[in-house]
Amino acid sequence: MATKQVRYEALVKALHGDLYRYGYWLTHDKQVAEDLVQETFLRAWRALDSLKDEKAAKSWLITILRRENARRFERKRFDMSEYEEANIMDTQATSAEQEIENHWLRDKIAQLAPEYSEPLILQVLGGYSGEDIANMLNLNKNTVMTRLFRARHQLKDALEKEPEKMRLIHE
Amino acid sequence: MNDNNTSNDMNNNIMDDLQYRRRIYAEPSSQDKDLIAAQNADPTKKQLAQTLCQFDEKLKQAMKIPVPDDLCHKLLLRQTLASHQQEKRKSRIHLALAASVAITAGLIVHYFQFSNSHTNLGDYALAHIYYEQGTFSNDDNNRVSLTALNKKMTSFNGSFNDSMGELISADYCRFDGMKSLHLVFKGLTDTVTVFIVPKKEHLAFTDKFNDNKLQGRSFAFKENNILVVADKNESLDNWQRTINNNISWSI
Repeated sequence: MATKQVRYEALVKALHGDLYRYGYWLTHDKQVAEDLVQETFLRAWRALDSLKDEKAAKSWLITILRRENARRFERKRFDMSEYEEANIMDTQATSAEQEIENHWLRDKIAQLAPEYSEPLILQVLGGYSGEDIANMLNLNKNTVMTRLFRARHQLKDALEKEPEKMRLIHE
Repeated sequence: MNDNNTSNDMNNNIMDDLQYRRRIYAEPSSQDKDLIAAQNADPTKKQLAQTLCQFDEKLKQAMKIPVPDDLCHKLLLRQTLASHQQEKRKSRIHLALAASVAITAGLIVHYFQFSNSHTNLGDYALAHIYYEQGTFSNDDNNRVSLTALNKKMTSFNGSFNDSMGELISADYCRFDGMKSLHLVFKGLTDTVTVFIVPKKEHLAFTDKFNDNKLQGRSFAFKENNILVVADKNESLDNWQRTINNNISWSI
């Protein structure tokens, strides 16, 4: 019992941030993301004995979170709000200039189709390889690499349409 | 785009521009040998890789939205509460188990003591006496006065005109669930028990009953039955006569 508690606390402390951000980029809603993370960790607690390899913990949790999100989507198909700029949150502790950049980039990331944004977030934020992502999303690796290419390509296209932002990519 | 035949590409010549772009856009920080070779052969390809890596760094910063400060605590608290609830449920189950064991035990005891398993007055009377065996003895010095007895008899709308013998004890008791009066008289060799029991349908009236040790008789009156149980040395005829002569019912 005590060791389970210790394991769980370690998981929460190490990974709740990543999970929350991942949930946020899936849903574009910080409250929903928080609920998803809570639900995910509650399920993780119940199933903790089935997690044999701590190194796999993050992708295990991401899998749970994705499943939870899918369930939510089934439950509330008509409640899903379209992405709204107002939902994108502000960051503290960054310079105003960088904040504007971040805000702009978040906007563009959020406008990507989910099938493009999800692998991109897993790769950039999660640090997963194409192969890992393919496994997690149940896709083949070529599909994942194509989507990653398109995701960056679309972001770069968006940049090129707003020349004043070009320094983001060319500074 | 093809990641699987990287070694083929290596062995052929340097990959073409379009193929390189697709590969490097998909994974700017790739360390695949053919990509590195292409970058070394062409500075613009290297430049593109660096640009995209920088862009990735910007993306990463943008993706790192702030995490609510209290989320970690919430998660830990919620889990603690959840397992506490579980514990509580468990202990509630234990308590419920203990309670049901206690109730079952109680029911069993009750069943043996006061159950309706005795279908007639006589059986019940005998069972009752055996259950109380040892409580009263012919040598008890306790005596109950006629007045005290008749006070108790008012519940049954009856009274005794005269003392019927040495009364050791007169107490209400449960006779198969009915409030009854339980009298214990000093007998010839052992105590003589007299029950005054309200008439109820669920016990069949048995006028005479006995086992190898005790004998008994029931006398039916208007509202009550009176039972006498004694050992075999006692003359129940005498007791019947005495009771009939002494009892009077107010209604």
